Amino acid sequence: MPPLRRKVLRDLVRLWPQALAIALVLAAGVATMILGNGAFASLSDTRTRYYESYRFADVFADVTRAPLALLDDVRAIDGVLAAEARVVQLALLDLPSLQEPGAMLLVSLPENGAAGLNRLHLRQGRLADPGSSREVVLSEGFATAHGLRPGMTLALVLNGQRRELTVAGIALSPEFIYALGPGEMMPDPRRYGIGWLPRQALAAAYELDGAFSNLVVKLTPSASVDWVIEQVDRLTVPYGGTGATARADQTSHAFLDAELKQLGTMVKVLPPIFLLVAAMLVNMTLSRLVTLEREQIGLLKAIGYSSRAIAQHYVEFVLAIAVVGIAMGAVAGQWMGAELAHIYAQFFAFPFLVFSRDLGLFFLAALVTAGAAVSGALLSVRSVLLLAPAVAMTPPAPADYRSQGGSLWRKLGLRQTSVMTLRHLLHRPWRTLSGVLGMAMSVAILVASLWSFASIDRMIDISFFRAEQQDVQMVFGQPEPPRAAFAARAMPGVMAAEPFRAVAATISHRNVSRRVTVFGRPAMPQLSRVLDRDLRPMDMPEAGLILSEALAQGLGVRQGDTVTVAFLDGSRRTVNLPVSGLSVGYVGLGASMELGALHRATGGAEAISGVNLLIDENQAPAFFHAAAAAPETGFLSVMALTVAQFRATLAENITVMITVFVGLAGVIAVGVIYNFARISLSEQGREMASLRVLGFSKGEVAAILFLELAVIVVLAQPLGWLLGYAMARAMVAAFSSDLYRVPFIIGPGVHATASLVTCAAAVLSALAVRQRINRLDLIEVLKTRE
Amino acid sequence: MSDRPEIVFRARGLTRTYRSAAGDVQALRGVDFTAAQGDFIVILGPSGSGKSTFLNIVGGLDAASSGDLWFKDHHLTALDERGLTLYRRDHVGFVFQFYNLVPSLTARENVALVTEIARNPMTPEAALAIVGLTDRADHFPAQMSGGEQQRVAIARAIAKNPEVLLCDEPTGALDSATGVRVLEALVEVNRRIGATTLVITHNAAIQEIADRVLRFADGRIVAERVNASRKAPAEVSW
Repeated sequence: MPPLRRKVLRDLVRLWPQALAIALVLAAGVATMILGNGAFASLSDTRTRYYESYRFADVFADVTRAPLALLDDVRAIDGVLAAEARVVQLALLDLPSLQEPGAMLLVSLPENGAAGLNRLHLRQGRLADPGSSREVVLSEGFATAHGLRPGMTLALVLNGQRRELTVAGIALSPEFIYALGPGEMMPDPRRYGIGWLPRQALAAAYELDGAFSNLVVKLTPSASVDWVIEQVDRLTVPYGGTGATARADQTSHAFLDAELKQLGTMVKVLPPIFLLVAAMLVNMTLSRLVTLEREQIGLLKAIGYSSRAIAQHYVEFVLAIAVVGIAMGAVAGQWMGAELAHIYAQFFAFPFLVFSRDLGLFFLAALVTAGAAVSGALLSVRSVLLLAPAVAMTPPAPADYRSQGGSLWRKLGLRQTSVMTLRHLLHRPWRTLSGVLGMAMSVAILVASLWSFASIDRMIDISFFRAEQQDVQMVFGQPEPPRAAFAARAMPGVMAAEPFRAVAATISHRNVSRRVTVFGRPAMPQLSRVLDRDLRPMDMPEAGLILSEALAQGLGVRQGDTVTVAFLDGSRRTVNLPVSGLSVGYVGLGASMELGALHRATGGAEAISGVNLLIDENQAPAFFHAAAAAPETGFLSVMALTVAQFRATLAENITVMITVFVGLAGVIAVGVIYNFARISLSEQGREMASLRVLGFSKGEVAAILFLELAVIVVLAQPLGWLLGYAMARAMVAAFSSDLYRVPFIIGPGVHATASLVTCAAAVLSALAVRQRINRLDLIEVLKTRE
Repeated sequence: MSDRPEIVFRARGLTRTYRSAAGDVQALRGVDFTAAQGDFIVILGPSGSGKSTFLNIVGGLDAASSGDLWFKDHHLTALDERGLTLYRRDHVGFVFQFYNLVPSLTARENVALVTEIARNPMTPEAALAIVGLTDRADHFPAQMSGGEQQRVAIARAIAKNPEVLLCDEPTGALDSATGVRVLEALVEVNRRIGATTLVITHNAAIQEIADRVLRFADGRIVAERVNASRKAPAEVSW
């Protein structure tokens, strides 16, 4: 082995803690890159393959009842590859284990087996016998939540009739990767599941023989989705069609999309931060190493080594660190990726998960990381090249501190040790700045991850406690006449009932349009309300619409503008309505109007979609019993359960997220502070030892270094808060979709926590260096020239 | 000052053994020594004779392996790390061969470094005046010559009004003329504040300015001479 290479290895061994700290930061960059890109690729590849293999449809349409013959017309539409007419109905679960009755979405099984759309992936058992009226295939999440296996029975209320069904199999479907009950925000597999029944049996139960209630369409690759939807709508309107939707608006798909979008943001934000910090650390450390080895460099040049060979030596040193970082990052990234895939597999119902070990990605990560490390080394290496051998072999000129503030410090009345610290920091402004910036990144990562707590609390507070005051929302299976509200009011335990109507509509302004649900509410809603910007409940205007801010923004309208509303219910009316007010809201796109006004606008029969209810807690069991028995009940949304499910799901995800982010921020903080401290100690070790000789105690000498670190840490805090704020802002913008809007709230606790965590990491690093101060050799320093 | 100056140091049978992989090295092999207040003592001897080890132990930078050392009523050989730090802080002034100034502090500030933690210091200005550097007070070490830097180091050492001034090769890095100026400063300080002064040197010429001369060899004091009359630094040269 050439002697210079041996020197690389020895240097690595000698400087291992510093090298390790840098390698860890690099590893974090590699890991987040591999993990983020890997998870993103995994999720999107899995989805693509799942959709393809199981023939996931492109267009979806609901009708009240349409004759099967209509299917031929649909198939004849230009661009339609395949179409399937299904029966899809909501049934109530009759499970003794559920006090609050849950619901099951019943979907007819594809008729022609393998050729069908939205095919099932069987996990256990078999598909139901087409001729049977007693067999059901259950979605896996629901079956798992209730411990149901093939052969066991399950009671359902189909169209008002209780029926015992036998579980034939357990399956997954690309249509319900994310299975969300009507009006729910988080999947609750305990209270909402999917059940596939043979078409004949399901049609018979809902009196849909020779008819269908749902249409799924697969398009040719070149088809125009919008055009096909137009044609489908034209065909289905006479049969109570509520407007076809494209895959992009399909609930399960849209939620997955939102998840991918978030992941995509993380992938873009995190790795560059780590690589930047690592490059700065490499620069700091190598500059110091080159300074210390100045005379050796001169000697090497004098005996005939070329500048290139010497520069290469230092680049090799940095590359060796990078290789360690890349290796650690690759292993950690793969491992965390597998863990994340595991979480996804649990959260989303996938039959398989493609977690590709993408060599290309690995090489890219390695290349980018090595590039970052080497670019950090370039400036120091350049100084090696510029040194003339004769100059290099003489000791460097003493550091000149003339410009670092003479009398100013004295006027401030600082102790000389503090003056030392401040001048030392000012003497190397770029290094000081790198330290501050690196530390600030650590704070920023925390601020940018911790803010979501307050935002989620705010979301819950506004959505569930201020806006929605009802205990239960009863969604009817079919639209009911307004008197159904009185029937609900008469149920046991009901203290108040408030009807609502939900009508699908397309709202447009100029050339922008959005598909939304328009909610009709009483003039002065008491239970389910919308809030204005000051969070005051809003009265429903006599004629106009109240739009959520998200929707208004999407459409580019303001209060007072007029929008065109095309109702997609049976009436198919299109009206122009004024925007009478804007409401806040974080889930979905909201549009509301007064119930009577909605009836007038649609021009159809007065009907309601459900009631919001206030329930006497003591009579809840009696209420749920009555509600389950009522034929109009389609789905019961229980606020307390929704909130609990929302919190539980987020809590689980957030714990993982916070652990990861605190770890990542800690790696940066330790990497920056430890290296900074070691370099500073290396530069000032001699002075510190001299001070010890002069009678300064170990603590007093350590305090000099700690003050220097404290200045870095303190300066980094406001900068970190600011950077974190900007990152959080960007994340809010990136996360916002039509499904979710994340309120941007940063509580003071976020800053405090971010600062505490980073300070703790800094203190630990400082303590690690303190050992070295305690071991300073007092005698050696007197005997040698620097 | 009384006729019989107070005894400041008493050493009995001081030894110091360094353990190393190559075997034990006996740096001191039993040194007996006394010094009175105001004594100006020059210590001579070849490299490895134990003179620096002796000075380090006297200065509280190193601990003896055996034997006893008293500074006035402080039993130095019984003190722990903390006690030795306090001893250095309160009683000892050091001057080193390589000055060991803090480059980021001016001359005044380097002196103030010590006066800030001392119990009974003079002002940094007074200390700098003694070594003749009043007009260089606001200069950084990088702006001063070697001799000037060493005089700042002396000012820093004496600013606490130490009872002991320990100098290890104070002129070792200086040319003859500059060295003389530094020695003048040391003699002046010894006279003005009455500190017991121990100066290690390789330079035999310097012995002429001392009250007493100790010669070290092989870890022992092999010769001791009392100068009947002291020369002024300006009278010696090398």
